[in-house]
Amino acid sequence: MTDDIAFWLSYLTNGKHLTWYASFQFTIFAALMGGALAVLFGLAGATARNARFLPLRVLGTIYSSIVRGVPDVLFFLFFPLAFEQGVEWLVATQVCSPAMVAAQTAAWPPCREANWILGTPEYLMLASVSLGIVYGAFATNVIHGALRSVPLGQLEAARAYGMSSRQVLWHIHIRQMWVYALPGLSNVWMLIIKATSLLSLLQIADIVLWADRLGAPNFLPAVGLVHADWRWRYYLVLFVFYILVTWLSERVFEAIMRRVGKGILSEAHA
Amino acid sequence: MKKIILAALATLTLSSGAMAQESLRIATEGAYAPWNFLDESGKPAGYEIELAGAICEKAGLTCEFIVNDWDSIIPNLLAGNYDAIMAGMSITEERKQTIAFSDEYFPPDPSRYVALAGAEIDFDALTGKRIGVQGGTIQAAYAEENLAKDNTIVSFTTADQAVADLSAGNLDAIFADGAYVDPIVTASSGAIDYTGPDIMIGEGMAIGLRKEDTDLTAKLDAAIEALKADGTVDGLIAKWFDGRGPYYAN
Repeated sequence: MTDDIAFWLSYLTNGKHLTWYASFQFTIFAALMGGALAVLFGLAGATARNARFLPLRVLGTIYSSIVRGVPDVLFFLFFPLAFEQGVEWLVATQVCSPAMVAAQTAAWPPCREANWILGTPEYLMLASVSLGIVYGAFATNVIHGALRSVPLGQLEAARAYGMSSRQVLWHIHIRQMWVYALPGLSNVWMLIIKATSLLSLLQIADIVLWADRLGAPNFLPAVGLVHADWRWRYYLVLFVFYILVTWLSERVFEAIMRRVGKGILSEAHA
Repeated sequence: MKKIILAALATLTLSSGAMAQESLRIATEGAYAPWNFLDESGKPAGYEIELAGAICEKAGLTCEFIVNDWDSIIPNLLAGNYDAIMAGMSITEERKQTIAFSDEYFPPDPSRYVALAGAEIDFDALTGKRIGVQGGTIQAAYAEENLAKDNTIVSFTTADQAVADLSAGNLDAIFADGAYVDPIVTASSGAIDYTGPDIMIGEGMAIGLRKEDTDLTAKLDAAIEALKADGTVDGLIAKWFDGRGPYYAN
């Protein structure tokens, strides 16, 4: 029995498993960074949609309606690749000489010197920005609606107290908007968490990729423990992880809601 | 400001290009035992990793392994993300149109079908079967060309996924490198067995390189030749492939 425990303990703490545990940081980073960017893009988008200036209003509307319709997997593959090639093209216009271009055999980049090798940190940033853009479009919609839900009387009262329009916007309008936006934003957050399972598409050795590798059947003692197809066990761990994150997120959102709702929610209840 | 950013990016890419001259960056899949796999500590190991150590020592290079998915392993070589591929890749005419190969370091080996023991498959009239292959391999190309009309070819990103699906009963057979399935058949103690004909495709396995890197190719060829002559290659094949060979002893 103690032998068994010792065996499983050493198996579950071998280098491969430790790398898997460490890879959770990528998922958590992408979710937090993606979430922060989504709120930022959402605020920008909603502001654009409410703008007096027509082209800005059109831009905001186009952003929130088109990007919401594109599947996140597609955007996840499209954006980092397009960004990478765009940067490479820009660099190529500066560093590539005709001789370098002639020496290049691959179709892309224009010359080898312009190649931008993306590692995990770069891909992680691009993944977070992709998440930010996609879910920022949802956040735009949520925040746009929330801005319109703030009772007009509140804004009129603020103006009557002599606040400037900027003060009204920041201290009253956006401050009160959160109460109406948070339920929607918590939904967007859940979607972002789910979308973090796509990181392996960008060659990031994330929790899903490692679960796949560790669970794959192994027939050779030289490789490690010989075992059958164990993928479902590893997927189950991910399952539990995501459920825990969901549960934790709900608690956090409840706490935030209580905070921003002070004085507003109680009034609504009364 | 834009110029500064561009200059910074340029020096970044240029310096990484310069570093690649001194050391050799080799890509491998890390999911194709016994050629290459990730060991218990999560580092690349296997026949090709040990062989690369010997080749690089002979050629006076510092070598570093990079794990890259199989399906993007050639495009990323051409883009310059690394300088060589050692990932159980067979020499084929089709691949030779885009990349160069060193001399072979693993001899041509028949591809074989394996199925669950007791499965009756009529290979003279092969129809309506689900056949698993790893995508982008010589076996996948062969199956698409010869079997796809009357059968379903199921393509997997890694070879072990195909084996897992066969064990789960979702496939009638898988078609793969003989030396890859040998240890699996042995280890399955009768559950998985060979079936059908052995088919010779591919011209042996070699290091994949960019066509314009002729100096590097010559350097690696010389090292491989020396290691074949002194028995190192045969020794490593025998060690990792259950006593196979010798192939290159005079």
